[in-house]
Amino acid sequence: MKRFNNTIKVYLGIISLSLTAYSCAPEIDSYESSAGSDVDFSTYIAIGNSLTAGFADGGLYLEGQQVAFPNLIAEQLKNVGGGNFNSPFFSEEQRNGSGYLQLKSLTDGQPVMEQITSNLAYREAGKLTKYTGEIQNYGVPGMRVDLAYVPQFGGLNMYFERLLSDAEVNAKSYFDFVTTRDHSFFSFWLGNNDILGYAMNGAYETVGDATTTFTSVTTFTNGYGGFINKLTENEKKGVVATIPDVTAIPFFTTVTTDRLKAGVEASTGGAFKEIYISTASGPRIATAEDLFTLSFPTDTLGKTSNGIQYYGLTPLNPLHDRFVIDKDEVVEIAGRVNAFNTVIKQVAESKQLAIADAHAYLNKVKTTGVSYNGINVSAAFIQGNAFSLDGIHLTPIGNALIANLFIDAINTKYNARVPKVDVTKYRGVKYP
Amino acid sequence: MKKLLLSLLLASPSLLFAQGSQVNTQSQKAVGMAGAGSALFIDEASIFYSPGALSKMDGNGISVGASAVMYRSAFREYNSTEIHDTKFKITPPFSVFATFGPKNSWWKAGIGVYTPFGGSVDWGTDWPGKYELNHLQMRAIYIQPTLSFKLTENFGIGGGFVYNVGLVDLSRSLPVSMADGSSGQANLSGTGTGTGYNIGIHYHLENNVALSLSYRSKVITKLKDGDAEFSVPSSLAASFPNTTFNAELPLPASFNFGISFPASTKVDIAADATFIGYDIYKSLDFDYADNTPVLQDTHQEKKYENAFSGKVGINYRTCEDLTLRAGVGYVFSPVRGPYVSPETPDNNRVMASAGFTYLLSDKWDLTAAYVFQQMQARTVTNKASGLSGTYKTNIHAPGISLTYKW
Repeated sequence: MKRFNNTIKVYLGIISLSLTAYSCAPEIDSYESSAGSDVDFSTYIAIGNSLTAGFADGGLYLEGQQVAFPNLIAEQLKNVGGGNFNSPFFSEEQRNGSGYLQLKSLTDGQPVMEQITSNLAYREAGKLTKYTGEIQNYGVPGMRVDLAYVPQFGGLNMYFERLLSDAEVNAKSYFDFVTTRDHSFFSFWLGNNDILGYAMNGAYETVGDATTTFTSVTTFTNGYGGFINKLTENEKKGVVATIPDVTAIPFFTTVTTDRLKAGVEASTGGAFKEIYISTASGPRIATAEDLFTLSFPTDTLGKTSNGIQYYGLTPLNPLHDRFVIDKDEVVEIAGRVNAFNTVIKQVAESKQLAIADAHAYLNKVKTTGVSYNGINVSAAFIQGNAFSLDGIHLTPIGNALIANLFIDAINTKYNARVPKVDVTKYRGVKYP
Repeated sequence: MKKLLLSLLLASPSLLFAQGSQVNTQSQKAVGMAGAGSALFIDEASIFYSPGALSKMDGNGISVGASAVMYRSAFREYNSTEIHDTKFKITPPFSVFATFGPKNSWWKAGIGVYTPFGGSVDWGTDWPGKYELNHLQMRAIYIQPTLSFKLTENFGIGGGFVYNVGLVDLSRSLPVSMADGSSGQANLSGTGTGTGYNIGIHYHLENNVALSLSYRSKVITKLKDGDAEFSVPSSLAASFPNTTFNAELPLPASFNFGISFPASTKVDIAADATFIGYDIYKSLDFDYADNTPVLQDTHQEKKYENAFSGKVGINYRTCEDLTLRAGVGYVFSPVRGPYVSPETPDNNRVMASAGFTYLLSDKWDLTAAYVFQQMQARTVTNKASGLSGTYKTNIHAPGISLTYKW
């Protein structure tokens, strides 16, 4: 029996040795990060609009800010020499910021939303609690290329106002505000609102409202080029993004002519079957190529307006131009988007900047959809996973995908190996 | 009037008894030789390894054995720094073999209860493949009554009927967000049964070289009325009704050739080659009792190839009481790259083993063995989900068995 015991000891020894040698979990070669050539990621700043700020569900709130695509990029850049990245976060106490929409219920497949009104960050009506700390995420909802040079915009835009000192309000333009900071690398995604402000207003410039101006190509070219020139002084590098088509976002593709017609026919017992819209060449019947906004107040259809019956249902009382982008305007807007994107690409190439082609990517999301590790992503409202409840801004999943689009562009342009974001960590629209 | 019918697509769940789940631990003697020895060992475990050899047993025996299979996989998504490990799980495959019949007779009967397929893998709910799999537990228990006949002193033939009970329990995350931001989850569990057979011949040459041929048939296991339960936000509950499902799991056939020969009076060498008919695993289809626009029956391609394994081992009788063993083996994976999935992130694997048998008395034997298997790192992109990255897997399987002879 003694010999047997010795044998057992030998075998136990072999077993414990092999356990130690291999531990239990297998080892996989780790990812080799690299900053690539001639790029310094130590101080990354993000310049842009609501998308850069993390605006979502019709509001700016802490959870959205935390998953804004520049914040996700900054986290990955830490693998390649990136430093701290501060954002003008709302406090935990005021985490719901401006307030935002949430899905209350789905009734017969129709979303019913409600506005979050607790834990807001207003110091008085229309003014948000100021943020005074250091900033690297300079995203300002509503920021445009043309208005970036207007010092008075700080007094009109509460998201910008909250970042400025009292002395700077109405005195400092966004351009001056962000180009006086130190940076070694930047992302720049402006220009969307130079199109969107006009498009969301039904391709209608409201007199006295500069946010609905349809920025001209000349204004855009000068403004965009001037901004990039300043940011790239001393050979600084960065990444810029193109502007998506308006038809790529559910804000313009969810309320369709067919859906409106079906609704009208059902609610009038078949008495009315068409929708009439105002166009530059007079009233006409709406077609599938005309786009309605998600914010279109469908309950006004058929009501009496300006003393005339059947609003939107007869040529005598067509829908106001503000609520529809007719097909000629769609073409006009697409042409302007393309012209802007041409400018963006030219400027970026002349300055050796990476280009995240959000225009091409979101068109792909719209036409074929994108599948990511079992998540199906499309431009469909709510269930498409990419767009939040406002139909314009991104969900956390959408932000993660866009962050990866930027990282891909950086890696390609600068021969870098910045690791990608794991999109499955992020959510789509929350269901009740 | 905003009619927005929801249509969330549910990808098909993945589920199979695959190569990665096949751990042959039926006899600890064979485990000690990395799976070789079907021709060498003539004992009650021949019910599984070589039914033709069973009739060559002089007396009768009953053996009870179990292994502790520790299956650890790691995954790194392509272009990511994060490495995800499966949680530590021990699967205990067991086997019981017993023989009946007169001593030194021309026939022998036996029964075996064993688990040729089984495994447990738990990736958790926080990894890049969570929409493919959270956890999977499965086991196939084969019950095999067997008869074996000695046609000549050297030539034995045998066969058995196989009744299989299969158990499956798996979960995966669903890409819908609950109010707290977490993902939904689908849980599928069920049991099924199937039948098959195991036949073989065993031949001794005059110079003590032994040959074994055996064929284990495929066993199509039909899961009927398994439970499908979904944890989803209440507003989507109507789209994901808790329901039942039917599915088929094809467990592959295998054809085994074994040879053994004495290298000296104390040393035997054995080698086994096994062809496994995995090409029956073409697709996985799920049929849900209740379908909704979201919850559709699913069809998933698998397109497995036939697989092969080769094992060689050495058996050294040190003295009357103690026999030592060691072996090595190589297994070719049946899974093509685009169909590799987290349930069994398969690849070709190498095996090394060691073991011993100690005669406690005339009646009692104690056998123990340890096999280590390593699957080579494999970088794949799954065709269905697009999950892209590198898998690597280690399997440790210590085991022990006790035999009583009379």
